[in-house]
Amino acid sequence: MSDMILYFIVQTGFVILAAPLVNGIIKKIKALSQKRTGAPVLQMYYDLFKLFKKTSVVSDVSSWIFRVTPYIVFATAVAAAMIVPVTTLIKPVWNTGDVILLVYILALGRFFMMLAALDTGSTFGGMGASREAMISALIEPSILVSLITVGLIAKSTAVFPIMTFMQTVQNPLIHPVYLMIFCALLIVIIAETSRIPVDDPSTHLELTMVHEAMLLEYSGRSLALMELAAAIKQLVFITLLVNLFLPHDQLIGIHGIAAIGISLLIYLAKVFIAALLIGIVEVNTVKLRLFSIPNLAALSFILSFIGFLQFFAFGG
Amino acid sequence: MGYVLLTVPLLAVVLFIVLKKKHLQHVISVAASVTMTIAAGFLTWAVLKGGFIEYSAWGGFFRVDALSVIVIDIVVIISLMTSIFSVGYLENEIKHEKLTTDRMRIYYVLMHAFIFTMLLALTVKNIGIMWVAIEATTLASAFLVGFYNGKEAIEAAWKYIMICSVGIAIALLGIIFLQFSSLAVLDSSQFLDWTAMIDHATELQGPTLRLAFIFILVGFGTKAGLAPMHTWLPDAHSQAPSPISTLMSGVLLNGSMYGIIRIVAIVNRSFGNSMFVGRILIAVGILSVVTAAVFIFSQKDYKRLLAYSSIEHMGIIAIAIGFFTPVSLFGGLLHMINHSFTKSMLFLSTGNILQKYNTREISKISGLFKMLPVTGVVFLLGLFAIGGTPPFSVFASEIVVISAIFQEKNFLVGGLLILLLAIIFTGIVVTLFKLFYGTDIPKETPPGELNIPGVIVIVLLLGIITVMGLYIPNELRILIDQAVEIVIGG
Amino acid sequence: MTNYLDALSVLLLVSAFILMGNKRIGSYIKTFQFQSALVALLTGIIGISSFAQDGRIDVLIICAVVIGIKVLFIPYLLKKTYAKVAYRVEKDFFLNIPILVLICCLMVVFSYFSFAETMGINTGTINNQIVNSFSVILIGLLFMISRKKAIGQIVGFLVIENGIFVTALFATHGMPFIVDMGILMDILVAVIIMGIMVFRIDEKFGSINVDNIKDLRG
Repeated sequence: MSDMILYFIVQTGFVILAAPLVNGIIKKIKALSQKRTGAPVLQMYYDLFKLFKKTSVVSDVSSWIFRVTPYIVFATAVAAAMIVPVTTLIKPVWNTGDVILLVYILALGRFFMMLAALDTGSTFGGMGASREAMISALIEPSILVSLITVGLIAKSTAVFPIMTFMQTVQNPLIHPVYLMIFCALLIVIIAETSRIPVDDPSTHLELTMVHEAMLLEYSGRSLALMELAAAIKQLVFITLLVNLFLPHDQLIGIHGIAAIGISLLIYLAKVFIAALLIGIVEVNTVKLRLFSIPNLAALSFILSFIGFLQFFAFGG
Repeated sequence: MGYVLLTVPLLAVVLFIVLKKKHLQHVISVAASVTMTIAAGFLTWAVLKGGFIEYSAWGGFFRVDALSVIVIDIVVIISLMTSIFSVGYLENEIKHEKLTTDRMRIYYVLMHAFIFTMLLALTVKNIGIMWVAIEATTLASAFLVGFYNGKEAIEAAWKYIMICSVGIAIALLGIIFLQFSSLAVLDSSQFLDWTAMIDHATELQGPTLRLAFIFILVGFGTKAGLAPMHTWLPDAHSQAPSPISTLMSGVLLNGSMYGIIRIVAIVNRSFGNSMFVGRILIAVGILSVVTAAVFIFSQKDYKRLLAYSSIEHMGIIAIAIGFFTPVSLFGGLLHMINHSFTKSMLFLSTGNILQKYNTREISKISGLFKMLPVTGVVFLLGLFAIGGTPPFSVFASEIVVISAIFQEKNFLVGGLLILLLAIIFTGIVVTLFKLFYGTDIPKETPPGELNIPGVIVIVLLLGIITVMGLYIPNELRILIDQAVEIVIGG
Repeated sequence: MTNYLDALSVLLLVSAFILMGNKRIGSYIKTFQFQSALVALLTGIIGISSFAQDGRIDVLIICAVVIGIKVLFIPYLLKKTYAKVAYRVEKDFFLNIPILVLICCLMVVFSYFSFAETMGINTGTINNQIVNSFSVILIGLLFMISRKKAIGQIVGFLVIENGIFVTALFATHGMPFIVDMGILMDILVAVIIMGIMVFRIDEKFGSINVDNIKDLRG
């Protein structure tokens, strides 16, 4: 029982608290590489705090979907966070955290987000929704193929057993299967978290924005929930990536609370490295034209597919 | 003597670059070819006496046996004929300002480089080096194909180098698998050595060997002009200067066929009585003959027509190798010799015709007998010869091949082959006989032969093929028998 | 060591895919350079291991030659050729890129199944490396027929050659030294000749689009 509570606290509380920090780090890296001081790393916490205090303005023409969406999106993000363990040292008591469930829980949130964007009837909302639908449809095959390939090797489709299996793999990144899946997932994360080659999180230029266009009508607490949900989703994906392909828990020889603490610290270090990587990618690439995104998605799919084939060839 | 054979063309290449006098170039070219022929003669004699010659230099790098000597003889004799022919041909080209002396030098350099690479391919015993040399023949002859620099010549040269390079690259893949199949058997000093491979043939890995054979057949088959990899051949043969077409048809195709025969010897030895290789080769051969039969009727260009005829004869040789009986192999090798001489004669004649009429189109030429009395007669007889009429030598070897097929009781292939040969003969007659008669001759050029050494050469070749059709010298028979024994195994 | 070779074989395959996804001649050349660098790395690894095992340095020499020819000289030559010929941005391929890439995928599957069925190769891990390098060859062939520019075809040829070279390394850990050197020299000369041909084509046809080159038929 205590394990369950601990898991619950770490997976929700810790992830929710850490999620805005990742955004802060990425923004700081971008600012530093452009020789600006930039906002403080904790800026997003202040923003969220401020937004939570404000009331939100809701358009008269919108329906209940618009009002309920922020809660659904936030709930799906937290549910996703519950599925992807940040450390394998705490055993979840239930065992339902399936990769397919993970993908479709997030899809549910996205579905409502698109509905809400259409609901207000604003042109940007519709545009953003259609683009988001396109990108997610393009990226979905590759995310499923990647995760299921890893699942096939681990002989389970649940996230926790996959991760515990990955702890036993030596140096996954020079193994051909994992190398391919890693590259594929990297592209997936960039697309899913609305990062630069696919979408620009800092723009409000109507020609280019995708994710932001769907949030335009939101304000106050609803906006805060949406942004926090986006940050959580991003951290969930990063967790998935780093915990699958840079396993660290086998390095810690001890058990108990201390081990968990060390594990979490190492986890944060890995997340920091991943944030650094994403920041560098963002600085060094330009946003793709919308019609070039299929090529990127195809590349991601191809990588995951090659990984899948290599699994047949090389085995786990 | 083998060293002389290889150093002479190299020396000639160096001399062409150093010495710039025009007449000297002709002299060097002919002298080099004569020396090579003499060297090859001695080599043949040595092989006839001793079975094979192995040179100790570079850890037994070179080896010549009856099979290679046959092809070497073809190469040097045709090079000799071509060199003599080229003297008159190039002089005429220069006179008509189609060529400068500098470009003539390039021509000679590349031609002798080509002969060198071909001879290298035939004398080494490492299959890998053989591959390197055969690829080098492509590189040496690519500029010769595009020598006239016209639109069409460039196109032909581009197709030639791209298709042949890729094809030969696939052969390299096959050679890699060949080595792979022998990894467990041979030690590293024997890798890709065909003598060692033949000795250990039964121990090679079967499935890998099959794969290797298919890749090598596709690769060398591309260079040998077997359908369906033949597409570069009509273009290259029609666009190259006539002496070069001669070298390609008489030398290059046989050199690649030699590569195929070497591999077939290994693979068949390994598989025993299996018809795996035979079926593929027969299918490819029949396809080549069919391709030639279909395309010959629609030709408007006499050099292209002859090129398709080359495809046909390569097909016949492939079929002969495919049956892999002593008689069929004898016929195949004899056919290789006969076809080379006959086709060389024809292509050299087209050189004379082309210089006289300045066109490759059949419809624009008539009255060949009046304009070029000797060439016309030789060309006509050559067409009969290549179509397979007695008393010429092609008839003799075709009869050997077909009788070998019937001995194997394969009436379907035999009957089909006879039918196709008849169709091709008709095609040649129908398409080309317009050339010879007619009074509609160009007024501005007076009748008469332009290239006197060239005429002597083609008459000489006509003599050779007529004699060979009636009587095969005993030495040649022994040589071919030895080669057949090498291929089939004692 | 096998792990590194496996990973490199997969990276080579990926570089072939990237090549297929490229649109401009400049990026073909860069991708080819990248792929050749991978080939050189592979040669280097095998060279070092063979040096460590029995003190042979021939593979290391070949590695140096590969770097000199394939990584440095040929890309330089192609860039120079490309800079000199008339350049017009045209649609360069007859199918769009995603379809071409999917065909490539199918070819990887094909080569996987064809090699899985071939006994004799199917021993241990070598098999899978050969599957990957053979796929590179197939992709190179597809690249050649899918691109219309003469330089694209040269790059396709070079990729085929890279694939074959790597197959040789994986299958046999190096052909005899002199054969390898001969192969590399042949490639060098072939590329130089093809480069000169590209100039001539550009001169005579006014572009390097090989679609224009179709006078000779039948």
